[in-house]
Amino acid sequence: MSVGMTRLVRVGIVLIVAALVPSLFVLTAGHNPWRVLTTLLLYAFGPQGWSEVLVHAIPLTLIGLGVAFALRAGLFNIGADGQLIAGAVLAVFFAPYFDGWGIAGLIAFLILGSIGGAALGALVGYLRAWFGASEIIVTIMLNYVMVQMISYLIRGPMQETSKFWPQSYLIPDDCILPVIVPGTRLHAGLFVALLMVIVGAFVQRRTVLGFETSVLGANPGAATYAGFRVKILTVIVMAISGGLAGLAGAVEVGGIYQRLQDNMSEGFGLAAIAVALIARLEAAAIPLAACLFGIFFAGSGALQRELALPFPLVWIIEASVIFAVAALQWALPSQKAIA
Amino acid sequence: MTPLLEARGLNKSYGQLRANDDVSFSIFPGEIVGIVGENGAGKSTLVKMLGGALAPDSGEILISGSAVVLHSPADAQKAGISLVHQHFNLIEDLTVEENLVLGRPELRHGILRFKELRPEFASVAEDLGTHIAFDSRISALSVGGRQQVELIRALFHDPRLLILDEPTAVLPPDERDRLLRFIRLLKERGTATILISHKLDDLYDCCDRAVVMRAGRVVGTSALRPDDRAELIRLIVGAELPSPDTRHGTPGAALVSVQELVVYRDNGTVAVDRGSFNLHAGEIVGLCGVEGNGQTELLQALAGMRPIQSGKITYAIGNEPVTNADTALLRRIGVAHIPEDRLHYAVVAAFSLTLNWLLRKLGNPHFVTWGLLHRQAAAKATAAAIKDNDVRASGPRARLADLSGGNQQKFVIARELSGDVAVILAGHPTRGLDIRTVVAIRNRLVAERAEGVAILLLSADLAEVWDVADRIMVMARGRLRGPVPVAETTLAEIGHWMTTP
Repeated sequence: MSVGMTRLVRVGIVLIVAALVPSLFVLTAGHNPWRVLTTLLLYAFGPQGWSEVLVHAIPLTLIGLGVAFALRAGLFNIGADGQLIAGAVLAVFFAPYFDGWGIAGLIAFLILGSIGGAALGALVGYLRAWFGASEIIVTIMLNYVMVQMISYLIRGPMQETSKFWPQSYLIPDDCILPVIVPGTRLHAGLFVALLMVIVGAFVQRRTVLGFETSVLGANPGAATYAGFRVKILTVIVMAISGGLAGLAGAVEVGGIYQRLQDNMSEGFGLAAIAVALIARLEAAAIPLAACLFGIFFAGSGALQRELALPFPLVWIIEASVIFAVAALQWALPSQKAIA
Repeated sequence: MTPLLEARGLNKSYGQLRANDDVSFSIFPGEIVGIVGENGAGKSTLVKMLGGALAPDSGEILISGSAVVLHSPADAQKAGISLVHQHFNLIEDLTVEENLVLGRPELRHGILRFKELRPEFASVAEDLGTHIAFDSRISALSVGGRQQVELIRALFHDPRLLILDEPTAVLPPDERDRLLRFIRLLKERGTATILISHKLDDLYDCCDRAVVMRAGRVVGTSALRPDDRAELIRLIVGAELPSPDTRHGTPGAALVSVQELVVYRDNGTVAVDRGSFNLHAGEIVGLCGVEGNGQTELLQALAGMRPIQSGKITYAIGNEPVTNADTALLRRIGVAHIPEDRLHYAVVAAFSLTLNWLLRKLGNPHFVTWGLLHRQAAAKATAAAIKDNDVRASGPRARLADLSGGNQQKFVIARELSGDVAVILAGHPTRGLDIRTVVAIRNRLVAERAEGVAILLLSADLAEVWDVADRIMVMARGRLRGPVPVAETTLAEIGHWMTTP
């Protein structure tokens, strides 16, 4: 830490750099940075945009919680996209049996989604704990496997009855998460996500599981020393992390698609890593970070439509924001002990 | 005669804490001066200021009579002062030679010309009387070897004043003797040395005089005459030392029995080679050896933290004896472990004291029920423990990393020995600590022995083993000798065992 630079000066530097860098790119591409910013914000907080921001924040929150939980244990779960697919596939596979179950059908559908993701996550944890396989590589590879698997399933065994479109049959009505604001796509998955945030914050602060997880991440030697069963703990943590991604898969199907199709994840898995880091792995802060990214997910379409702004420029703006938030953590360091 | 270096009225504060309060100090060419004091007395702060690593708030430093301002360790080196820190600044995965070059930025110029540098390194090493392999990696060296690399680095600049911060804390006896001989050799050549040490023997064996610090001030000087030792200790502690506990235990049943134990190091070489011994209730067995001969791995295997290749470790505590149990089970039946590498195993430095207390209490229904933590109860117990054990901390919410090393160690021992303990595995529990803390910790172990606890004490300090242990065993290249009753052996015999497997 350099001497003589006050917090205010540092925050100022961060904000100026964060505004200048994307502006330069936008200018070079022949657009007006100010108009880009106002268009993005007007859309995101406008009558059509706000619900779309939340629609994207739902899976980002669920997956972000899981990624953060794994990161607290020092495990990088890059495989949320694959776990999301695993959850969606398992849930949709059994969905026809839940026809006529009412609310129990919806709950069973969501639980099956979690189980699908958890199974894939647990496999990664097992390979890591017993064979020392890198969870980063295994999760990335499994993403490809899952993408190929769903691609096969929706063109084969689970394809819709006319056998024409590459998509699965529709799930029964009982498994659908209802729209909660008429005229938007905002669905009851919002409550599922908020419930998980509360559960996550509780687990993190109050339970042995949350404590053991942070010890394992902060000092693996201390975890062994204290007598934690580190291998089993690794499997549990990866199962929970994958389970949340799988739940997001079921929520996306139940709330938006109502069937399986290609490209369901839209790159949520990678964005969720940034969500988790920006929230400093604090469960309670994850929804806010998820909304920030929801603005970009929802707003990038608006920028393309209204300003004909090319996609890569949106990514550059997004990257600048990630850097800015990370740099703010440098500008405003916290010296507090983890109590 | 003008002093080589003189400090006048140095002050340095950290917030409320006055680390150095009007400190004046001088050293003459070719003099060896010891600086002693308890942990937190301000010794390290003083030498950091003399070595250019820390700027004083006020006061001045004179070299050969003229005032200087040292902005950095590089400035100090130019003025002829080299500082060797207590914790080594070496890169594990690089070779000795590569580390030495990194220590001399002026020789880098973008290209490392090892061939030209090697003779220069070799001549310094020869002066030191060491035969260090320049192409071996730091990770392959013993602690003593690493220290020699640091010394070579410091001696490059041909310093007029060498400052050594706790150089003997981690050295086995023979390497310590060699270091002290070397400091006297430097003296003959006119180089002055400041030696910081907790060990009074280091001062009496090597120094011309000792400066005593307490609570940030210089409280006196000792000429180090053999008959003023008690006076020196009083100066350091500021009062009488608590008297050593001399109670003995009554040895009972064997609580730990080890048979034909084989344990490997991380790199697959044999660390413990078919070791067998028993540890009885109510006794302290000292485990000695030159660092790197398998003692560390033996202790880790006993604590369930290192896989057993073959052989048996049986704990006969409670109803059923358990063999080759894992850490989780050993914890439950009352095996306490004070690991030698505290920050690596015993604690999470970034956590509060309360959470560090909980680390080993997750099986205790007082602090955990149904998988839920009772933070209030834990905070209360932590507050009581730091008070009862004289751990200096602002409270249970303090970050463990903010405590001094001695207080961290006292906290770990307080936590490990709270609750029902039948066996204590202690790895260098007093290493690097001040006299008062050392006596407190030894008394604690002796008191536990009197209660019928079985204690294995891994220590590099033979005097300590002689003071408290009932039996002693030695490890050399993985082979165990003993245990034999301390009364039936001699320092010479143990020294011989340590070097000949």
